[in-house]
Amino acid sequence: MAEQPSWRDVLDLISQLNESDYESASVQVGDVSIRLSKTDAVFDTPETAGRVGAQPRIETGFDTPATAGRVGAQPRIETGFDTPTASATQPAATAASATQPATAAMGDTIDAPMIGVFYRRPSPGAAPFVEPGQRVEADTTIGIIEIMKLMNPIVAGKAGVITDFLVTDADAVEFGQPLATINTSA
Amino acid sequence: MSDVPVILVANRGEIAMRIIAAARRIGASPVLAASVADKDSPAARAADRVIVIGASPANQSYLKPEQVAQAAVMAGAAAVHPGYGFLSEQPALCELLEEEGIAWVGPRPETLRAVGDKGSARQVAIDAGVPVGAGVEIDDPTNVVALGEQIGYPLLIKAIHGGGGRGIRLVTNPEELVELAPQAEAEAVAAFGNGALYLERYYGRARHVEVQVFGDGEGNAWIFGDRDCSVQRRHQKLIEECPAPGLSEERRALLHDSSRALVKVLRYRGAGTVEFLVDTESEDVIFLEVNARIQVEHPVTEEAFGVDLVAAQLRLALGLDPELPEVGPVPPAAVIEMRINAEDPHADFQPNSGDITRLVWPKGPGIRIDTQIEEGYRFPPFYDSLMAKLIVRAHNRDAAVAAATAAVHNVTIDGLKTTLPMHAYVLAHPDFIAGGIPTSWFGPVWEARKESLT
Repeated sequence: MAEQPSWRDVLDLISQLNESDYESASVQVGDVSIRLSKTDAVFDTPETAGRVGAQPRIETGFDTPATAGRVGAQPRIETGFDTPTASATQPAATAASATQPATAAMGDTIDAPMIGVFYRRPSPGAAPFVEPGQRVEADTTIGIIEIMKLMNPIVAGKAGVITDFLVTDADAVEFGQPLATINTSA
Repeated sequence: MSDVPVILVANRGEIAMRIIAAARRIGASPVLAASVADKDSPAARAADRVIVIGASPANQSYLKPEQVAQAAVMAGAAAVHPGYGFLSEQPALCELLEEEGIAWVGPRPETLRAVGDKGSARQVAIDAGVPVGAGVEIDDPTNVVALGEQIGYPLLIKAIHGGGGRGIRLVTNPEELVELAPQAEAEAVAAFGNGALYLERYYGRARHVEVQVFGDGEGNAWIFGDRDCSVQRRHQKLIEECPAPGLSEERRALLHDSSRALVKVLRYRGAGTVEFLVDTESEDVIFLEVNARIQVEHPVTEEAFGVDLVAAQLRLALGLDPELPEVGPVPPAAVIEMRINAEDPHADFQPNSGDITRLVWPKGPGIRIDTQIEEGYRFPPFYDSLMAKLIVRAHNRDAAVAAATAAVHNVTIDGLKTTLPMHAYVLAHPDFIAGGIPTSWFGPVWEARKESLT
């Protein structure tokens, strides 16, 4: 059985590509293929400009034609997550907070760049990407948003200390919904 | 489990309001999938819940199948109504929803594919015995006279691999055809890398007449009369009416029977429209396309026949009886719809956006207004310019034109330029009052009117 690359391996690959002169890379490890590219169109929402734009695009796992290109310019990761249907269909508690403007509290919240289900962990049972109190850089992954079975890494977008998470693991989140608070002057 | 089905409304503006009203009518709970720009819109307030699916530009929200499907899952939706435009005729969203066991308010994905492409739609029409435009491929550009006779003049030379209006030439006689065909081939080779050409009959003075159908998905059809949508500017409809004025019984029967045959061949499910060219210079009736969605102009049909097509769509999608009546080919009333757009008709129909500072609608029998706008509403710059549809019903066409004229003069919309002055002009024009104008009528008439003012 071929060894699977870990989440850390994938992230390392991303940062190596980011710092390199290569525009794209394709890696095959066992039955996992990873394609990275810097040149795909960037995610250019005014509210989120610069947050995920510089991220290379990732495709891992079993690349099927049906899902290829579905989220376009979004950085994208497919992993073997179970879909928590129950929590995905009961997001009533989060609906109210989503009506806050996405640009509110500039500099102190990290907002969801897309609709989906938010995970704080790379896989069920694993340790969270980051914990409150932890220092992050702009490109530090703080979670994953799953949209229709596609996993998208969410980066902090700014450097600072994460002070709190505003949503719990596996919560359904809307576009622009604050996910975490961050102290950027710490 | 709640027994109130949730309908996800995957659209915005007036059609979102319309779908929300239909959901209420059938006792369902409407949830709006909105962009950031629309999250506090009147439609958002009218819905039971709003789910923000993406940023303001449509290509980051309303045009993203995964984001809409994700919202449908989060809403616990039983069905998704896509409205018109956006994803309404995209098999992609329809199929994502199918995987989740959520109903799509529209035809099957294979139907969307079959009618979504000009070539395959034409083949479906031929299979159904529906009249299509005469067309023939050119084998030898130096030997075209016989082909020209076969099609008749005027005709168009079209590059098979052309598109977007490029590679098309109008030919009015055999001498021009002999001269232009070899040139067209050379140009097609240069422009498209392929010189293949075909000839097609050109109708310069045809009307746009369409038939409202509703299929049960098993091959049976309700036919809800016809609409005339010939007042157009650059292929954009401005005014629509039901029924189409001045159609002979034979022509009307041909249009309705052809549409019924298409529904049967496609086993069409739900509301749809079959569009035709109806020539004013010959007896020709030509199939154009099937629009596999509810259309902007559906209210004229609803008002003329007294039906709720959107509620019927929702019921059918939920597996219920659509509760539609059998009706005759001609409705008992005449109805006219005017599209009020945020465009300046005196400045080349330039769109504008901004705050609506004052808004007064006319009142009276037979007046319906489908809109999202209200006083204080900020008309956003991100989407199309349709602000409202003013729909007026009367007992016959003359009365409907008179009532529409009065209604147009009793609308006040301050803060934005609108197409209301254009409507007042058209409704007072003797050609429109007579009925049966072709689609080529509006452009030059409006230009001439501008010149007469300067």
